[in-house]
Amino acid sequence: MPTALRKNRTQLIILAILALLLFMAIQGMSTKDWVVTLLRALSVGAITFLVASGFSIILGLMDVLNLAHGTLFMIGAYVGWSAYVRPDTLIDLLPPLALLLAGFLLGPIWSNWLERLAWGSRRRHLWPWAGLILALALLWIAAGKFPVAIWHAQEYTDSPIVWAQNFERGLVAESLTPAPRGGPALLALVGLLLAGVAASLSLAGLRRRAGQMSGQVAAAARRRALIGCALLAGLGLLIFLFDDTLTRFLLGLDTTLLFLIAIIVATLAGASLGALMESTLIRPLYERPIYQIMLTFGLAFIGTELVRAVWGRTGFTMPRPSLFAGTGDGCPAASIGGWFTHKCSTILLTFGEDTARIRTYNEIFVIIVGLIVLVAVWLLLQRTRLGMIIRAGVQDSEMVEALGINVRRVFTLVFALGVGLAALGGVLAGPSMGLSDAMGANLLLGALIALAIGGLTSYPGAAAGSLLVGLLQQFIIKYGQIGINLPFLDAPFKPSPPLVPASTILLMVIILLLMPQGLFGRRE
Amino acid sequence: MPTSSSPRTWLRSQLGLILIVLALAALPFVIGLLNGQSISDVLANAKGNAKFIQGLMIEVFILAIFAISYDLILGITGLLSFGHAMFFAVGSYLTGVALKSFGWSLGQTILAVLAAGVIQALLFGIVLPRVKGITFALVTLGLASVFDILIKTRELGEYTGSDVGLQGIPRPPILDPTDQRLRFYFVALAFTLLVFLLYKRFVDSPTGRVCIAIRENENRARMLGYNTFYFKLAALTLSSLTAAMAGLLNALYKPIVSPEIAGLGFTVDGLLMLLIGGMGTLSGAMVGAGIFRLLDFYFDRWFGEASSFLIGGLYVLLVLFVPYGFVGAWRARALDFRRGRARLLHLFGGRGGD
Repeated sequence: MPTALRKNRTQLIILAILALLLFMAIQGMSTKDWVVTLLRALSVGAITFLVASGFSIILGLMDVLNLAHGTLFMIGAYVGWSAYVRPDTLIDLLPPLALLLAGFLLGPIWSNWLERLAWGSRRRHLWPWAGLILALALLWIAAGKFPVAIWHAQEYTDSPIVWAQNFERGLVAESLTPAPRGGPALLALVGLLLAGVAASLSLAGLRRRAGQMSGQVAAAARRRALIGCALLAGLGLLIFLFDDTLTRFLLGLDTTLLFLIAIIVATLAGASLGALMESTLIRPLYERPIYQIMLTFGLAFIGTELVRAVWGRTGFTMPRPSLFAGTGDGCPAASIGGWFTHKCSTILLTFGEDTARIRTYNEIFVIIVGLIVLVAVWLLLQRTRLGMIIRAGVQDSEMVEALGINVRRVFTLVFALGVGLAALGGVLAGPSMGLSDAMGANLLLGALIALAIGGLTSYPGAAAGSLLVGLLQQFIIKYGQIGINLPFLDAPFKPSPPLVPASTILLMVIILLLMPQGLFGRRE
Repeated sequence: MPTSSSPRTWLRSQLGLILIVLALAALPFVIGLLNGQSISDVLANAKGNAKFIQGLMIEVFILAIFAISYDLILGITGLLSFGHAMFFAVGSYLTGVALKSFGWSLGQTILAVLAAGVIQALLFGIVLPRVKGITFALVTLGLASVFDILIKTRELGEYTGSDVGLQGIPRPPILDPTDQRLRFYFVALAFTLLVFLLYKRFVDSPTGRVCIAIRENENRARMLGYNTFYFKLAALTLSSLTAAMAGLLNALYKPIVSPEIAGLGFTVDGLLMLLIGGMGTLSGAMVGAGIFRLLDFYFDRWFGEASSFLIGGLYVLLVLFVPYGFVGAWRARALDFRRGRARLLHLFGGRGGD
């Protein structure tokens, strides 16, 4: 035991000092103040953790410093907002996506057929590119022809700000104008299906030499592809036919349920975006570390511009779901039970004669989701086969590959998981922080600091670092309001707002200088 | 290295550089003549396109010095620093504050900026032996962010102008960017050339060779008996001094010293310049700075709002398809070009193919 103590002496001393500081900070406040501040810190920490954990798993497994992570967090928030406030747009977008994907899934079918082609070498090399160009052209034309109900960031009456207000008043259903349906839209869907088919065909042509599957496996893959394609196309057409009914149904739902749908949609969208990013853009760059940083930075740039183009430059709010929005009679609730019966936005906690007002969404729901994700990802890492591969890959990915595990596929999965977590964080942050085009960059900086403090590739480190960043920020903000009584100053010292980011950065620099691998990081 | 000291071989080996310098020196006059101004007009700093192009080129020179100083620590020595904007911003802000609030002369200011450059390098030097790789990047980013936050605080607003930027710096009359723009242009050009030659000499010197060895494999360099810390510190000091001097020129030239130059965005701009030109090539940094500034300017003029989107897309394409930058790609291909030209001459019956 003493050797373990001696080995981790610096870590233990730092942790003790931090605990002492926290204790002193709590002592300087009244009970209600520190409880509220602590809950807020947990809430900020939970959202930071959702971004930081994905970032750290990606960094640990594939050494990719994904600077686009903050932007993906932001995209998650905006996608979630759209699915939440404009369900009609979501429903409109599903059929074209489903049909494009249905065509694309047909990939395995072609290989057998392509084998029998006896074309000259030049033609064999050129046609896939021609096919790709054809697919892009088809996509461009068909996607433009398919009508989708959407907002207009440039016009105030139709802007996201006004839609969010309408949503809060329950006016969305009245202000909808259904997008025109009929022959042209159906034709556009067929065009999208053809674009997917053309893309899968040309990709199969490009990849032809990669290696052949044996007969039975190939036959099974073909069967699966056909079934998947038929299912997706059928689903897309069904949604297309019952478009209006589905929209009405979604709008009739309780907003809490709608919010759950938004969370699922945004997480799935983030995960697929991550998988797409890894498999097309990042995969060629595993050999060149600095270039990945720059690529992901460029992607962050493009993502931010995309968000500005679609949702506008002005920030807007995301209304809270009904379970956390009530202000009528019985509110603020005095107990958890009261909250559930009256659906209050705040709860009152009493300490002696003091009462603290706690917002149910920000300070309870976000923390609970953060804890659930913390435990779920920990279970995934510790108890499943995938988690075992990930942990082994963080240690030595070459060795894992040598043991016959398809690390490529695990890379894609982990990237999807990490980005999905960030997107989930984005939707959760929407109602509490609001949406703006700077939210990604701010949160990425916070997550980076949290990771540097906790240890860049350590999962408990990500949690501890996020918590520390949240605590430091929130306590300094609170002390900025009430002031600290320092012994040698007459007036209480009030930290000014710029000190909030500066303090976390300083904490990071100090901890890194004492322990370069972070609090819980592995020693090199 | 060619050992022959005959002036003719020297001239031939440096032909490209000499031609470029001559072209840049003639540029204001050529632009002036093309726009119907006489040479005396250009010499008298008359308003017009020539003066405007001079201004744009001065900005390119300043960025080129910044980029080459970043190249020395990132591309040559291989230190992943994300705090390089601080080196530049300290030079700029110190110049502004010294001239405006303290009323120092230009000479005193230059001395102060040089001293600040050394101090900054030493500050990074404290961090240097403790952290490596991504952690070093994060710590430098952190230090630079603290400086960024400091100059934006309201408490120091009297000196730094907080969010708005530092305005109304009194210009020394001998180097006034509006009245003496042509002189400023030549001073900036000369300084850029000086920095370039100095850096080339540094990289070719034994010290510079060790720096390259550190980039390739630090442990092996240490095994050979070099104390790598001193070499890294030397590279950092030189880089910090140059960047601070570029900052001084920036403060003298720009009407407002904007706080943007202290942020992470400016470091990334520098990274982008290196990426365009080619990392670790020195001349690539200069080419990259030129392309970056001109592209930024003309994209903004042609495409307006969509320009940043296009630049982002261009950036991704560059990383994927021209990973070693234009100068790097040129150097890799130069041999092929030479061989191809020789074969062409041979085909036409010349005696070139040897």
